[in-house]
Amino acid sequence: MREKQIALKINGKVYQVKVKANTLLLNLLRELGFTGPKYGCGVGECGACSVLLDGKLTLSCLTLAISCHQKEVITAEGLSEGEQLHPLAQSFIEHGAIQCGFCTPGMLVAAKSLLDQNPNPTEEEIRQYLRGNLCRCTGYTPIVEAILEQTQK
Amino acid sequence: MVTNTKILAQEFEYFEPESVDEALELLSLYKGQARVIAGGTDLLVKMKRELISPEALISLSRISALKCFNEDEKMLRIGAAVTLFQAESNSTVARSYSALYEALRSMAAPAIRNMGTIGGNLANASPAADTAPPLLVYNSRLKLRSKKGERIVPLEEFFLGPGSTVLSPEELIIEIQVPFLEASEGSSFLKLGRVSADIAKINVAVYLRREGERCALCRIALGSVAPTPLRIYSAEKLAEGEIFTESLIKKVALECQEKIRPIDDVRSTREYRIWVSAVLVEEALRAAWLRSGGKL
Amino acid sequence: MFNVVSRKTPRMDGVIRVKGLEKYSSDILLPNMLYAVLLRSPYPHAEILQIDTKEAEALGAVCLTPDDVPDVFYNERGVSIPAKTYRDRRVLPKKARHYGEAIAAVAAESEELAWEALKTLKVEYRVLSPVLDPLKAMEPDSAQLYEKVFFGDEEVPVKNNVACEREIIVGDTDQALASSDFVIEEEYELPRVYHFQLETKSAVCNPEEDGGLTIWCTTQSIHNVRILIGSIFGLPLSKVNVKRIPVGGSFGSSIQMNSIIPICAALALKAKRPVKLVSSREEDMYDHCKYPSRIRLKVGVNKDMSIQGVEAEVLVDIGAHQIQAYPLLGSMAGWLVSLYKWKNIKYRSRAIYTNKVPACAMQGYGNPQMNFAVESHVDLICEKCGFDPIEFRLKNHVGIGDEFWGQGPTVRSIIKSCGLEESLKVGSELINWKERGLPSSKSGRYRRGVGLARGFHTSGAGAPGPAEVIDYSGATIKVNEDGSVDILTAVMDLGGGTWDAIAKIVAEALSLPLKKVNLSPADTRTTVYDVCTHASRGVFAGGGAALKAAQEVKRKILEVSSFFLGEHPENLELVYDQEKEEAVVQPIGAPFKRMTLGEVAKNAMITGLGSIATTVSFRQKTCPPSFVTNFVEVEVDTFTGKVRLLRAVCIADCGTPINPDGVKGQLIGSLARYGGYALLEEAEYDAQGKLKCDGFITDNKIFTAEEMPFLKDVFVYFTRTYEPTGPLGAKGIGEAAGNSVASAIANAVYNAIGVRFTRLPITPERVLEALREKEA
Repeated sequence: MREKQIALKINGKVYQVKVKANTLLLNLLRELGFTGPKYGCGVGECGACSVLLDGKLTLSCLTLAISCHQKEVITAEGLSEGEQLHPLAQSFIEHGAIQCGFCTPGMLVAAKSLLDQNPNPTEEEIRQYLRGNLCRCTGYTPIVEAILEQTQK
Repeated sequence: MVTNTKILAQEFEYFEPESVDEALELLSLYKGQARVIAGGTDLLVKMKRELISPEALISLSRISALKCFNEDEKMLRIGAAVTLFQAESNSTVARSYSALYEALRSMAAPAIRNMGTIGGNLANASPAADTAPPLLVYNSRLKLRSKKGERIVPLEEFFLGPGSTVLSPEELIIEIQVPFLEASEGSSFLKLGRVSADIAKINVAVYLRREGERCALCRIALGSVAPTPLRIYSAEKLAEGEIFTESLIKKVALECQEKIRPIDDVRSTREYRIWVSAVLVEEALRAAWLRSGGKL
Repeated sequence: MFNVVSRKTPRMDGVIRVKGLEKYSSDILLPNMLYAVLLRSPYPHAEILQIDTKEAEALGAVCLTPDDVPDVFYNERGVSIPAKTYRDRRVLPKKARHYGEAIAAVAAESEELAWEALKTLKVEYRVLSPVLDPLKAMEPDSAQLYEKVFFGDEEVPVKNNVACEREIIVGDTDQALASSDFVIEEEYELPRVYHFQLETKSAVCNPEEDGGLTIWCTTQSIHNVRILIGSIFGLPLSKVNVKRIPVGGSFGSSIQMNSIIPICAALALKAKRPVKLVSSREEDMYDHCKYPSRIRLKVGVNKDMSIQGVEAEVLVDIGAHQIQAYPLLGSMAGWLVSLYKWKNIKYRSRAIYTNKVPACAMQGYGNPQMNFAVESHVDLICEKCGFDPIEFRLKNHVGIGDEFWGQGPTVRSIIKSCGLEESLKVGSELINWKERGLPSSKSGRYRRGVGLARGFHTSGAGAPGPAEVIDYSGATIKVNEDGSVDILTAVMDLGGGTWDAIAKIVAEALSLPLKKVNLSPADTRTTVYDVCTHASRGVFAGGGAALKAAQEVKRKILEVSSFFLGEHPENLELVYDQEKEEAVVQPIGAPFKRMTLGEVAKNAMITGLGSIATTVSFRQKTCPPSFVTNFVEVEVDTFTGKVRLLRAVCIADCGTPINPDGVKGQLIGSLARYGGYALLEEAEYDAQGKLKCDGFITDNKIFTAEEMPFLKDVFVYFTRTYEPTGPLGAKGIGEAAGNSVASAIANAVYNAIGVRFTRLPITPERVLEALREKEA
């Protein structure tokens, strides 16, 4: 199985990397130091590995890195710039939407994707959108509250 | 543990052909040992679980011909690599193909819907495939192509068993052809799962064409109740030509209940599926009737 | 009353977490690191005769087989006193006792290479017949998992797969039940469920030049991991350093040193390179689960609603290893005894070995199980005897002034705060309890029901004298030269906000704004012992120790300040200056000469007076119960059997809520977890001893955002109580939050459709079956 050189933009910066056909995008990102996306289940059920790929919510544990040549990835690390937190991230802190924090990066990426698509979702729509992001700690209530607050803007 | 889902342990060659012909060439070259990958949400899971081990993966991502969504007066032509999300976002689907729309919306999480495709859902041939019952009741047809040529296969003839279809290893689904619907036609889809985003314990699609107070045409399909998604022809015949009433609805639903052959599995039991099948069919019939402009 | 405590404050680790920068064990990357994978038994019961690693080693991998590990038997939990601890674990076993048990390990340069090498291992097994049912396991002709295990220092025989038993008798139940007006008997069954913490069990072990180890791992007790690794591998504790690192959820699954940790350590010592071992989800599901239980209750009551006695028989199927079954049986007695004034008690319990995944504590440690049995039984009693469910509970509950058993019979306290009465009153109003109607009055396809259950949990396992359970904590606090404060604590934060709570308690005690108080990075070398962040003791015991340290530091601050202010320390006070946002030392009630804490510290340095710091070790002498009451409304679709959680009122008495948002988070999180326990989750096995879902969460579903009630339908309320023995009046909440949720849901389902489910989960399949039986 040969290696291929790909160019991948991650959080605004282009990386030139060699990947094998079976390298998963999740593992490539984590090897490059982006440990925001997490391994939670490996089979696309928990959402902990969620990233934006060319702007679309995507599960990086089921994405081949080799298929991402010349694509753009945004992880949770890329949502906030330096001191300036993304409004959703700020909202998460204010509403107590973080407990152990393991689901938080994926959850934020999913929340951003939702608001990109639909800036004014109802509570029901928020819950539906998050159906693929599992959280065992919070019971989702403060997460939904945090996202709802951002819809009134 | 025979699996390690942290990685994709298998080794394979990977191709991104830019045309259907190129893809078919590759499929033929690998003599059935290659698999096509679109969204990868089913395929890669199967590979991680060591259920299949292809020598090569042929990605459809660069083949624009497979991503088209076309409409003419006769039919909807959905490219095999159109994503579930693209289909769901299509206004014609949302407006007129209610069963398909409802099925797409009920399927899994948004990320999976961004990645997964209708063609993939059909080719994966799970008896629980959510796009199958709606497409079956619309009398959809699949255009298949291999190096040897093209053929049109009615969806009713496509599924052979769990995970098995008439597709030859060197054949591709090109597009799904869905006949155009009139105003007097209505459809509906329902499913039950353990949680909201789940593989169906049971799913149902109904399509009706109304003429006045009568049901002129009726098609019913259920999934997860047999080795393949199933049309219940005997139930359909009970409805056709009849005045549409609550008692007809119940009669048709009971016939479906009689005809399905579910099993116990990790998601549910045979008994439960039988019990609720009638409930879902009734609800779907009502909804389809109302959408066709009928009254109850 | 408080400046910092009880106020809503943004989580201190919030920023790093929303930026995706928080590092968990599974995120640690070290140079020269090897990746480890594990070979897991394909049989539920088999002797391991031989493992051939030649091919794997030829690929450059480092291998570990049962012959390569120390021949030491340990108990991975380390919380009970050694004399009362059963030990049956080895780093790698010579006999596999459950499908998926780790039996060999391989480390290599990459995970892919390690996995490839793993596949070349050749194992010779002697396959034995498995026992999968606890009742069958006790039959004389069943295969035995163990001939002997250790109890304390002695080897003891294991007969009929009975791991341990406990019997507790108070008074005379035969007499009491015989003379009761009513005797109600029923059996309840609670399933195995999977903790489903989002981070799978992981470890990174770095062998140090001095022969020691540095360890990052998923744990609730860095000190117990250190002690266990030290004793297993014969390393002095000063050379074993376990880092305190955030963990991606635990819910009890890391109270014990996870099975992968010593394997990782052994590999690192052998390879002389750092090794990372991250469990796959499917491995994790085969590593731990919640204790399943069968509980039979027989209760005698009189016409005047007084309880006369209870007989309880408990059977716990613990799986392949005894992690904490013996203390569990004692604790479950405590959970029973402390719910109601039974007067006479006969409690008999047994824990049985089977060839399944080892069970361990999960949020509540037998309390959700016992609560489900008792609170269902109370509703059953009330129905059969015509009692009002709230009146009955008010009359018979264990409350203020009563004796309370926390963590079993050796850990007893007198209750000094109890918000139950307030909870029942407020909750019943909020949910409109009076209008709930009888099941017989409900009709139609969709039927709604309201259910109530109340529960409690201990705050830690502190007690006046030595008990069977070790429970103490400690903290180091130092005032920095600019007046900010560092806290070193071994206490973990599993997500609930314990670190914030500790910081807030210290800030409050030292009259500082929260931003001047920091939790330093910590590890086992820099902290004094804390037994474990479990048993809802993080705030009560961990915070209690921090408070004691803060009080000592405060004394020292005043002593040092007395030199500069020319006042006797007893004439000085430390107050919070709102404007300066600083702690200020001044003569009591006379602010004409004052110094900020910053000035005091700086001067102490300049004048060479020294550092202002202290280290304390502290044991709580009590373990006061926190009370949580749940009222829930469900809607049952009688056509599909689906039960929907509509509304929930969760009322907590946790004394002073240090982090009000944190307490709310525990209550609502528990609603989701125990909603799943009540309606959805069960880790079922097939006849071959494999999980039916085979470790894939595709078929092990938990609540998503869609299964929870809407925002407007979840209501949290705190009672106005103050616990005199707790730090600033606080009690624990972590487990109390969940213990009565499933019970309330089951009682609500009864109220909706008149069917009492004595077995969880209440799935649509079971609902339809029951409804059909009822009709017939």
